[in-house]
Amino acid sequence: MVMSLRDWAVRFSEASDRDATIGAMAKYFTCTYMWDMGTAKVIVEMIDGKVYRINTDPRPLDAYDFALRASPATWREFARPVPEPMYHGIWAASFRRDLKIEGNTLVMMQNLRNFTVQFELLRKVGVPV
Amino acid sequence: MAKHSPVIGRYVTIDVDGYEYKVFYLRNGQGQPLVCQHTAGCHNHQWRGLLEDEAITRDYDVIAYDLARHGKSDPPHNREWWKEEYLLTADHYMKFVVAFCDALELKNPIFMGSSFGGNLALQLALHHPDRFRAVIPVEAAEHAPGFFLDWWRHPHANAAQVCASGVWDLMAPQSPDQDRWLTWHYYTQGSEVFRGDLYFYSIDHDLRGQLGNIDTRRCPVIMMTGTYDYLTPPEATENTARQIPGGIYIEMEDIGHFPMSENYPLFAVYLREALRIIEERT
Repeated sequence: MVMSLRDWAVRFSEASDRDATIGAMAKYFTCTYMWDMGTAKVIVEMIDGKVYRINTDPRPLDAYDFALRASPATWREFARPVPEPMYHGIWAASFRRDLKIEGNTLVMMQNLRNFTVQFELLRKVGVPV
Repeated sequence: MAKHSPVIGRYVTIDVDGYEYKVFYLRNGQGQPLVCQHTAGCHNHQWRGLLEDEAITRDYDVIAYDLARHGKSDPPHNREWWKEEYLLTADHYMKFVVAFCDALELKNPIFMGSSFGGNLALQLALHHPDRFRAVIPVEAAEHAPGFFLDWWRHPHANAAQVCASGVWDLMAPQSPDQDRWLTWHYYTQGSEVFRGDLYFYSIDHDLRGQLGNIDTRRCPVIMMTGTYDYLTPPEATENTARQIPGGIYIEMEDIGHFPMSENYPLFAVYLREALRIIEERT
């Protein structure tokens, strides 16, 4: 059974805010990004390494810096405890699978260390699709 | 009692196309020289496991150098290098390796390189088949487009972190955290040269249509690639090896683009097989 968006947002926030690797370099990890999973979309707002807000019902004009978009099947692969090859990261999946990186990519690059760590938390938290 | 490694570091000065390079290398072992090239934007600590692997060093003289501008090998001392854009070419890169091997008076060394070092191994097999006993291109292909990116040294981002985290998922998730984060750490140290290295990797290196000219009777080619390598995926290496008459391809399960650095014990299993094949064929 797929977890609700609300449950996912709580679990993801807790996992991210407790993560020691992010915590070790949290200052300035400030950005807003969308994860578009097809049947579910979220906008995550980060301020100084903490999840400030997760918008689980984005409206068309809600703002964000950059977005990751892929099919629900791809997001489910991201969330496996040990993903299969080419689903094991945002670079791998953008080079070899259907992941699209859109928006202001510079902001993603400026926050790449922590964003990468945070993305891999999906392996523990799961996805709402 | 101090815990010393048997690995010794030294410098040797060589001339390549008029560029004076003071090259740092690590060395341990005896017997057959095995010369090791690190990946782009990195340095010779990637070979730390191999350099201290007694099962290898009892028969192989393992030599891992830092390419000029990497690690402890400075940019050229006789040039105002800061006034030139660094773009590594296949020709200069090959001359560097041959000059280094000549300086150390290495007889019939085996050359092993990973990623842009793997692509160089293919170039050496094609252009210098009699200088090397064999080559082991790791994570290599005839052509590897797509990684010559401005992001590696973009002034509006933290280039050290972009390089290090940008290559993070070139590694397999199964590889040990300690080794993946060491590799990440190494990659924070070479951001100024990473893009220039990748000029060779993604632009100047292009052996499409030339692989049939590699003579594996003079220089055997044993290619190895990990299943988690998205940049040079296994099918790219296999397709390359298939076009080389006598070329051999070994697929490495559950490992990525930096196998010697991200999970040496697993890489060693495949490396021993490659060395066994070379012993049989030469």
